[in-house]
Parts: sequence; C-alpha cells; structure tokens
Amino acid sequence: MRLAKNLRAFLRVGTVGALAYRADVIVWLLSTTMPLIMIAFFGAVTRDGAIGRYHEPQIVAYFLATFIIRSLTASWISWQINLDIRDGTLGSRLLLPVHPLVAYAAESIGGMPVRALGSVVIAGIMLALLGPSAVAHDPVIWILWCVSVAAAWLLSLLVSVTIGGLAFFVDSSAKVMDAWLAGLFVFSGYLIPVDLFPPRLRAVVDWLPFRYQIGLPVELMVGAHDRASAVGLVGRQLLFVVVLALVTFAVWRRGVARFAAYGG
Amino acid sequence: MIEVQNLRKDYSVHKRPPGALAALRSVLHRKYETVRAVDDVSFQVAAGERIGLLGSNGAGKTTTLKVLSGLVHATSGAVRVAGHDPRRRERAFLERISLVLGQRQRLLWDLPASETFELHRVVYGISRPDFAATMRELEDLLELGDLSSRPTRELSLGERMKCELAAALVHRPTVLFLDEPTIGLDVGMQLAVRAFVQRYNERHGATVILTSHYMDDVVALCPRVIVLDQGAVAYDGSLEALVRRVRPEKRVVLRLTRAVLPADLAALGMVVRHAPLEVVLDVDPARIQTTLTEALAALPIRDLTVEDPPLEEVMAEIFAGQRDARRKAPS
Amino acid sequence: MPRYLRLFLAQLRISLLVSAQYRVDFLVDGAIEILWTSTALAPLIVVFASRDRIAGWSFGEALIVVGFFTLLQALLEGVLNPSFVAVAEHVRKGTLDYVLLLPADAQFLVSTGRFHVWRSVNVLTAAGIFVVGFRELGRAPTLASAAFGLTLFAVAAILMHSLWTLAMCTVFYAVKADQITDVLSATLDASRWPSSVFRGGTRLVLTFVVPLGLMTTVPARAFLGDEGVLLPCVALLEAVALALIARVVWRRAIARYTSASS
Repeated sequence: MRLAKNLRAFLRVGTVGALAYRADVIVWLLSTTMPLIMIAFFGAVTRDGAIGRYHEPQIVAYFLATFIIRSLTASWISWQINLDIRDGTLGSRLLLPVHPLVAYAAESIGGMPVRALGSVVIAGIMLALLGPSAVAHDPVIWILWCVSVAAAWLLSLLVSVTIGGLAFFVDSSAKVMDAWLAGLFVFSGYLIPVDLFPPRLRAVVDWLPFRYQIGLPVELMVGAHDRASAVGLVGRQLLFVVVLALVTFAVWRRGVARFAAYGG
Repeated sequence: MIEVQNLRKDYSVHKRPPGALAALRSVLHRKYETVRAVDDVSFQVAAGERIGLLGSNGAGKTTTLKVLSGLVHATSGAVRVAGHDPRRRERAFLERISLVLGQRQRLLWDLPASETFELHRVVYGISRPDFAATMRELEDLLELGDLSSRPTRELSLGERMKCELAAALVHRPTVLFLDEPTIGLDVGMQLAVRAFVQRYNERHGATVILTSHYMDDVVALCPRVIVLDQGAVAYDGSLEALVRRVRPEKRVVLRLTRAVLPADLAALGMVVRHAPLEVVLDVDPARIQTTLTEALAALPIRDLTVEDPPLEEVMAEIFAGQRDARRKAPS
Repeated sequence: MPRYLRLFLAQLRISLLVSAQYRVDFLVDGAIEILWTSTALAPLIVVFASRDRIAGWSFGEALIVVGFFTLLQALLEGVLNPSFVAVAEHVRKGTLDYVLLLPADAQFLVSTGRFHVWRSVNVLTAAGIFVVGFRELGRAPTLASAAFGLTLFAVAAILMHSLWTLAMCTVFYAVKADQITDVLSATLDASRWPSSVFRGGTRLVLTFVVPLGLMTTVPARAFLGDEGVLLPCVALLEAVALALIARVVWRRAIARYTSASS
C-alpha cells in the first residue's frame, strides 16, 4: 500500500537522520544535565530528612526516570517547522502525498531507536544502583505506563507541531516555544515532583498539560500511583491528547491555507 | 618595501583514497602528504610599484599574498614587508597593509557598509577628522553615492565590491594585496575597480600586488609581472618583455569582402583562424611591413588590425612550456 | 578612553544595531529571560516552604548563590556563547582572516564578536534576587563584603571566560558550535546550588577542577561576609593559571589555523 511505503520512507529518513546526527543526540544527552543537577539538589535535601514521600533513593529514582522520559519524548520539531516555513521548504513537503504532520511524526519516530538506547543505559544504571524496589511492581501499572509514554510522546509532538504551526501566522514562534518550555520545566514534574507543590498550586497543575508530557509517566514508573488513580490519570492524559490534536489540526488547516495563499 | 627570499610553504594534507575500507581506516590512522604550495620564491618590490602575480589555480599566488600579510606562516625563507616581519603581526605593520580577498567578504552582512567603516575607524584608531577626509576621498574615487548607507545584503555584487574596497582602505594602507578583486564583476565594474586602484596608487604611492585571472586587469594595472607556476617563479619582469619573449609574433586580423583559398594565405604567415570572411594570422614583427603590403595587394580586404597576441594564450603557452620542461627533466 | 574599552563599545554597538535589524523584541526576549531565571528559583521556593536549611544554607543565603549564578549565566548566554557562534561562522566562511588582519588582540575581538543584549536583563534580575535574599536574611551587606563579593565575581568571570576560550578553540578542529555552547550552558548549570549540595569527590571536582564552586559559592559567601581568605586566594590563583593556559591554547589554535589555512 502506498501510504505504508511512504511512511516507511519517512521512518528511514528519520533513522538515517538520527544516525547521521547521532553525535548530536549524544551531545544532547550529555547536555541534558538538568535531572542530574536536580538529583544533586534533592539528594542534599533528603539527606537532612525526607521531603514529602521522598527519601534519597526515591528521589534519585524519580529523576533518573525523568531523564529517561525526557529523552524518549522530547521534541524539537517546532524549530524545524519554523525553518521550513521561513525558507519555504514547507512548500515541497506539501507536494508530497503524505500529510506533513504525518511526515514529521514519522521522522520523529525514526529517531527513537537512538534515543531509546540512551534511556536503556540509564534504566540499567537505575536498577543497578537502587535495586528493583525503585520502580513499580504491578504489571497493570506497567501496561498503563506504556500507554502513558506513548501518549506523552504524542502530546509533546502535538505541542511542538502546533507551536511550530504558529509560524504560519507570525514571524517566528520560537519565543512561544521557549515560554512553553519554561512552563514545562517548572510544572511538569521535571524540576520538582508535582506532589511537592502546595495543594492549591497542585490542583492547578493537575489540569495543565505539562504534567502529562513528562510527570505522569515518571510517576507511574516509580510506583507513585495505585491502579485506580493511574487509570484516571492516564485517561485524563489521553483527553489532553485528543483536545490538543483537534487544536493542532485546526491550526494547520488554517495555516496551510494561509501559506498557500501567500506563498510562504 | 617588500623583500622575499627563498620562500617556501608546505602544507600537510590528509589524502584519503576512495572506498569504504579506506574511509574506515582513516578514522584510526590518517596518512598525510606534503604539498608544496610555494617553492623557493624570491623577489623584491619597491615602494609605489604595481605588480601582477600571475599563475594558474593552485600556483601559489594566494598563499604568497597570505604569507606577505602574516596570515600564513612560511615553512622557510625570509619575508620583510615595510620593514616588518609579517609573522609577528605587529600593530604598526597591520596598520600599514591591507588584504582584499575577492571571494571573501569583510563587510558586516546585516548592516550598512558605513558601520563596518566606523568599526574599522575605532580598531585602527583613526581620528574623526582624518576618517572624514579619507571617506570623502574614497566615496569620490569609488563613486559610492549612498551605497554605504544601505544594508550590505541589499547590494549587488559589484556594489558590494566597491564597499569592500573602501572598507579595506579606511586606514590608508601603504601596501595593498589584492587577491582577485574583480572576480565575478561585470565589465563596467571591472573597469571602475581598475581605474580606482590605479588612481589610489598614483595618489598615495601605495605599493600594490595584484592577482587576477583576468588578463585585462594585469594589462591595465601592472607594468611588471611575476609568474608563478606550481609554486615557483617562472618569470619576473615587465609584461611587455614577457609577451615579446614568449609570443613575439604580432597578430594580424583581416576581414575580407569575399572568401579566399588557404593557398593564398600560406605565404603571409601562420594562419591561426580561417573563417569564410575573416582570417587571423601570426606574423613575425620584422616582416610586418612586407606581409601587410602583400596582403593589401593580394587579398580583398575590408578591414585590418594589428595587435599583440591575447595574453591568455601567452600565459597558457608559458604554463605549457613549464609543464613540458618538467616532464622532460629528470625528477 | 582606553583603546580596548572603545573597541568593546564599538563591538557592542554593532550587536545592538544587528539586533535592531532583526527586529529582536527586547521586551519579549527580556521577559522570557526572566521566566527562565524563575525556573531556577522554583525548586528553592518549593523546598524552603517546608524547611529552613538545605545543605546548611538558609533561603536567603541560597538566593545569593542563585544571584551570582544568574550573573554568570547572563555573561555566558549574553556575550560568550553568541560570540562562539560568530567565530564558528568566521571559520566556516573563511573570514577569520579578516579578524586576524585587524591591529587588535584577536582573542579580545573574538570574545566580543556578538552580544545578545536582551540577556543583560538578567543583571537586573540578579540584583532583584540579591535584594530579596538579603531581605530574607533581615540584614544588608556591608560595603566591605559587597566589594569582596563583586571582586570575587570578577574573578569568577575570568574563570568563566578561560573555560569558554578552551572550549572555543575546538572550533578550529572542526566541531559544531551549537553542541559546544549547549555543553557549556549545561556545565554552568551545576553552579546554581551552593557547592555543599554535592558530596565528596564530585564536590572537589566541581569546586576546583571545573571551578564552578569557586565561581558562585565563594563570591556568595564573600558577599554574605562568611568567607575567609584561603578560598578566594585559591580562586584568584586558579583564575590566573587558567587564563594563561587558555591564552596559550588560543595561540596554538591560531598558529595551527594560520599554518594550515590555504
């Protein structure tokens, strides 16, 4: 089937691209030091006494998990889209028999194996250092975790593509992405476990999309939730994915029309 | 002003044979080859002279200029420019020289050229009155108009080159190294650049070393040329003498009113081209008068010119001669 | 005016004009800078809501460290990393020759090649953080400790510049600029906490080998009036040593470039 062949082609582009830029990926992994810095910080904090439900081993487990989830779900496509729109190469993408969004997604998947490799290494370190008690034991939780990671990846992709798509309407949406990233760092659980926030802030954060990009898979991974609440939270995450998908398609439909009208 | 003695420059180049296996091997162990870019070059240039540095690509022209300006360190030999050793990059030295690389841009891309001029004014420590006077002169000589107040990226290639030249001269250098300054320019702009260089040299007594692939630049500007071939000096002297030595013949171009047979031309000289209504001959200068008389008598001539052979051909012959000499000589 | 100060201002002016050309929205970009700085404060605020000390530092004291970190970050992201990208472009386009032809120190020209002026808003943010920090402590810094702290910050800036120069020289060996600037930013990140947050070997390495501790924790303690003489002397010695090493490496890199370029 032609669609399948096209997708395979994009997957290959993504993989080859990722391999060609594997040095980039390695350097990115090396410069994603934020989880390590937070381990240092919270390590010092928990040495003086547990904070929330976290003793030192749990907090280390938590942040190693954030490293894994971040490397699996991070998306830089918004910058790529900005470039494509600005220099007009989006035009050539639009001529292809595959919707550009699908193409971007496939390229992102193509880069997965290389990124997953880094994550596997870190996961191995995590288990070796902290033992199996660091992670969840319930197989149902792990099934939900798989769903959650996929949803988190998709959510990050949609956010990236939507914000990238804003470049159809303004000069550059790089600043919007920057602002979103700042929000992501603070409210997703990347810098601070979400359950350490004061209760009122916690209530707000539960209904912001950030936590569902990184925090939720991390929390599931370290066994912070029982089955019932896990199901509920993953459900909410999927809801966010659906809502965001609708926004993405709306932005792109208007954006592409505008691009075609003005020639980019 | 400029003294070069036994200049030698070798480069270590990593040569990788084709093929995947060789590529893999080169990651672990690289093989380096020595390329001799400049081979025992010696010459002297007096202050205020204009000389052309000629040679095919890779002959060592740009490398020589870069050594003279201190950008490249020679492997061996002695170089002195304006009493300085270029390698030491002394401030007094840098303030007296200027290098223009025709294919590389010094102007700030996003801003008007005037901002580059101002930056140079500060770097070179030029006082505002001196700067204003220099700019007035350069604007006049180069006919800049308002070019320097528009962002560089909006200028055409020729306009940019004019501003590049101005930027190179803000500090009133006394030694100019011009590496292919007219490359890519249209004919009108080439003429303008040539005229400018000549006027600047005459007005300020600046020493000029120019490299160019356009022989017209050399003919117009350089009474003396140094020809480099494979890094060595093949000739150093006046352009006229070079042409006379290599290709002493005069080129006679006859435009005819009707076609003639080759046999009719044989006695006149060596036929370079024989088109139906045009004939080009190379004639021994000693026999010019007799040849022309015979031609005018025997052939249906509409128009006639006598000129020197094209410089490109002369150069090609020099290089071919050098190559043959090298091939014959034992290595 | 001293020559190099004039040159610095001329380079700064060029960067300002280029930013204006590209319609850099100083307000929006400044706001985003402030946003990012607050992400550095978030963990501190959350944790200090439930306890008084982290690794022996109180909230106010920890804020002083974050303040110096913010200043260093303003230097790195506002001056050094943009200049890094500019040098890489010069090497790629072959126009570094023109820089080397100018009668001024090439290392200086290259260090001031480009400024992202909007990042200097972090200088104000840092000042704000200092003010809040001392308010938390319920006192003001003495003139002596303020002078001491700022002097040690100058030492820290020299250390930062030397580290940056060493990283920048890799550009002559054909490495991608973007990656190195990311690594530098990530390395500086570790200096946002007081160095006592780290333990044992890591702490020694991050204080003296990659002297992050000397760059933020020591000036902070000086500003607070808690620093002795030993560590500042070490910092000064290390700054001088690193500056000399960076200078030598730079000259070697340029020599290699001038010998190898054609």
